[in-house]
Amino acid sequence: MEIADELKEIDEKLINELHQITKDQVEYWDIRASVNLGTNLDFTDQRSKEVSSYKITDCGIRTFINGGWGFCVLKDLNRVTIKNGFQKAIKLAKLSESLSKYKFKIIEQDPMIQHFKINSKKDLEEIDIGEKIKLVIDHEKIASQYSPKIKNTHTLYLDAHTQNIFLNSFNSNIFQDLSFLRLFSLAYAQENGILQRSINSVAGVGGYEITETEKAKTLSSKTAKEAVELLKAKSPIGGKFTIIMDPILTGTFVHESFGHAVEADHILNKESILEGRLGEKIAIEEVNIIDNPTMSQSKKFNLPYELFGCYFIDDEGIPSQKTIIVEKGILKNYLHSLETSSRMNELPNGHGRASSSSSRPQVRMGFTYLEPQDWSLEEMIEEVKDGILCEDFQYGYTDPTTGNFQFKCKLSHQIVNGEKKQLMRDVALSGMTLEILNKITAIGDQNTYNYSDGLCGKGGQSVRVCDGGPYIRIENVTVGGLN
Amino acid sequence: MDDLNIFTLAKYGLDLINKKNSNIKCSEIFFGQNKYVNIEIEENSIKNSEIGEDNGVSIRVINNKGSLGFAFTNRLEKKSIEKMINIAVKMMNVGTDNPDFKDLPFSYKTYPDVDDLFDKDLKNLQLEDSLLYVEDLIKICEEDAMAISQTANFISNYSKTYIYNSNELEISGKETNCSLSSHIIVKDKVSKETSFGSEWQTERMLKNLDPERIVLNALDDAKRNLNRKKIRNMKVPIILTPKGTISLILRPIAAAVNGETFQYKRSFLVDKRGETLGSEYLNIEDNGLIAGATGSSVFDGEGVPCRNKKIFEKGKFLRNGLLHNSFTAGKEGVESTGNASRNSYSTIPSIGITNFVMKTGDIPLEEIIKGIKEGIVLDYTGDSPNISTGDFSGLILHGNLIKNGEIKEPLNETMVGINLIDLFQKIDAVSEEFSVYGVFRAPYVRIKSVNIIGGGN
Repeated sequence: MEIADELKEIDEKLINELHQITKDQVEYWDIRASVNLGTNLDFTDQRSKEVSSYKITDCGIRTFINGGWGFCVLKDLNRVTIKNGFQKAIKLAKLSESLSKYKFKIIEQDPMIQHFKINSKKDLEEIDIGEKIKLVIDHEKIASQYSPKIKNTHTLYLDAHTQNIFLNSFNSNIFQDLSFLRLFSLAYAQENGILQRSINSVAGVGGYEITETEKAKTLSSKTAKEAVELLKAKSPIGGKFTIIMDPILTGTFVHESFGHAVEADHILNKESILEGRLGEKIAIEEVNIIDNPTMSQSKKFNLPYELFGCYFIDDEGIPSQKTIIVEKGILKNYLHSLETSSRMNELPNGHGRASSSSSRPQVRMGFTYLEPQDWSLEEMIEEVKDGILCEDFQYGYTDPTTGNFQFKCKLSHQIVNGEKKQLMRDVALSGMTLEILNKITAIGDQNTYNYSDGLCGKGGQSVRVCDGGPYIRIENVTVGGLN
Repeated sequence: MDDLNIFTLAKYGLDLINKKNSNIKCSEIFFGQNKYVNIEIEENSIKNSEIGEDNGVSIRVINNKGSLGFAFTNRLEKKSIEKMINIAVKMMNVGTDNPDFKDLPFSYKTYPDVDDLFDKDLKNLQLEDSLLYVEDLIKICEEDAMAISQTANFISNYSKTYIYNSNELEISGKETNCSLSSHIIVKDKVSKETSFGSEWQTERMLKNLDPERIVLNALDDAKRNLNRKKIRNMKVPIILTPKGTISLILRPIAAAVNGETFQYKRSFLVDKRGETLGSEYLNIEDNGLIAGATGSSVFDGEGVPCRNKKIFEKGKFLRNGLLHNSFTAGKEGVESTGNASRNSYSTIPSIGITNFVMKTGDIPLEEIIKGIKEGIVLDYTGDSPNISTGDFSGLILHGNLIKNGEIKEPLNETMVGINLIDLFQKIDAVSEEFSVYGVFRAPYVRIKSVNIIGGGN
């Protein structure tokens, strides 16, 4: 696809003018401009609720002087509005600077001049809207016909094609052409006055091929099956149990409870249980935690598209890279944006990310996971006398200052004397992050390793992320329940 | 773009749609204009100053068989509107029939007068003047011996909305909003323990913002949660603070009486209309007409006048206690309740609350607590109940033990589990005090006895 007209406005001449406007005025600046085209399809009970299409332009101009940032957001992209936006942003940075207590410089990086394009096998624009609708209706049919107990189905299809430009005062000039697709399936099952639901999704960076994998094709039948199974599930009895977390929950734990605590903005804001603890042993020796949002990891999972949480560069022009967070139980690195790395005198590691061009980059994770070890799932279960095998998650949250977390699991099985038993619903796990990292008694092998994806919210912004790991076993975990 | 230009564009668009396709039953053009200022504080220091604007238009077309097409863009030129109309019609043509669709709203003769939705001072607010509000936050936090950090922000917002539809509905209105939020970390110098506390305020009028109250409440909140203890399992009365009342009563009921959720039978209140489900203290209404309140409006996201609706009265879930937009109202054969919600031009109308209010009682909080020998205060949980079943089990992120009528130590790793209907029945006292958090107005509420699972067994 050709470069969008709106982005062509940002040519050599304008770039030179921007360097002139900002010269001797600010210490750092960047601009992100994007043109986004997308389709949203929202169906319930095989009827369309929303069939929509959009074109949105978006631009954010960021300026920096000695500890103070200015940010100007505009939607109308042309030479005049962009130059005016710079003038406003310069004023804003001056204002922030005049009142900020913490003075620092942004450490200069090598310029990056590059074009990135996602190689989608089936371009979104080439797929007729009728075909996309047929896909959604087919999923609706599969879910609703799965069982007479399925009373209500909901399928959501979202795709987006974005072209964006990044320029900064280090002379970086990056153009990206990316596309994304997400497909959600929800099913509600009902029997004897009991109502249960399940939700699943597939998502990726790429084209329409994302809908054609085995995982995508079985999405709605899996969802319907789970909703029906949950009807027979028991509510848990509260207490302390040995827990086995599946890869999705392990990933959630590594991201939600632990990962946010290594985001360097939280460290600087004294809001993290890991402040000042680099180099310390914080987990048992078998624990290795990585964040690696580089492209091409989907091959490990035999997927024809890129993982949803992966990217070429972050939103500050820093290439994505593998960062070792914990090695053999020792805390090695925090995740950084340009600002936090400059202030903590570290190298930036590509975690300055924003939800769109009109939002300011924050420190965010990409693909965070726990490395596998050598236990099989059977071995883990065998040794458990009274425990719960927890699978898939509904939601979770963490108190960053203490590490107290709670996760609500989707499907769980009781384990009695080494055997998987009765299905349970709404099992709520609670614990203290650093205690859990030291109470792990088994980490699964490569065969048990998997990942999941979604959007992660922070400071009002949502970004694409993945997390994962193997099955893990933890002793003495508090489980909440209605009984 | 001024009013006249938008009017001309809208008329042009509606005419064009009309000529397009004889199958079109009705159509709507929605313009949204928005301007904002945002000042962010990190590490108790000003970090970022931001301004921005977002203007856009969306086209909604529905054919005789109820199929809906929707398109939006932030390019407000004739050419791009023509393009969007073509796309919306194309979308309509590929969508499915929906016999439940009746019509878009017709024009209304009168709209309610709601005071204080627009503040001229706020519309004209310069960034420099906004700084006054955050400077207070910083200063008070700085002077506190236990506070070690604060994240906070001030946001002001001016928006103007124009709705035109083919049923001759034409309405426009402007509103302002401003908000202050403070999130503070405190540290106990002896135990070295840290804790966070938060407070926020949203107002239509700038003069009502109270930075001092916000930061002091956030500090109190943080300090009240220092040096937490794990407790044993127990079955005791709990007091919901206004934040707790919002999490466990108002927010779940708001979701459960949403017309769409209800019609799809995804609500735990389905089949319970007209039944008395709670104690006499459960009185709830959705009131879009409170002067100066952030949830108030003259008209909703489809141009329907806002009003006040009773949802629960003395524990009884009222037969007409559902919230509707024009679609769900049409499906049920009733009038829209003026609850079409639309955050911006980029979304089709869903259903949302206006101001969701739980009626206060007539005894002071102090008296409610006094009678409790052993109990729990629940202030904040990150969990929300399952709306389809009404089941709730969650971690108390901020809560305290009550002993002999006094609020004592904060709780660690403590979970609570209850079904909402059970909770509604067990409400045995409601305070005369209440707090406003955005669109919610909530008192303190006492629940007779609830299962608590402690981490200290």
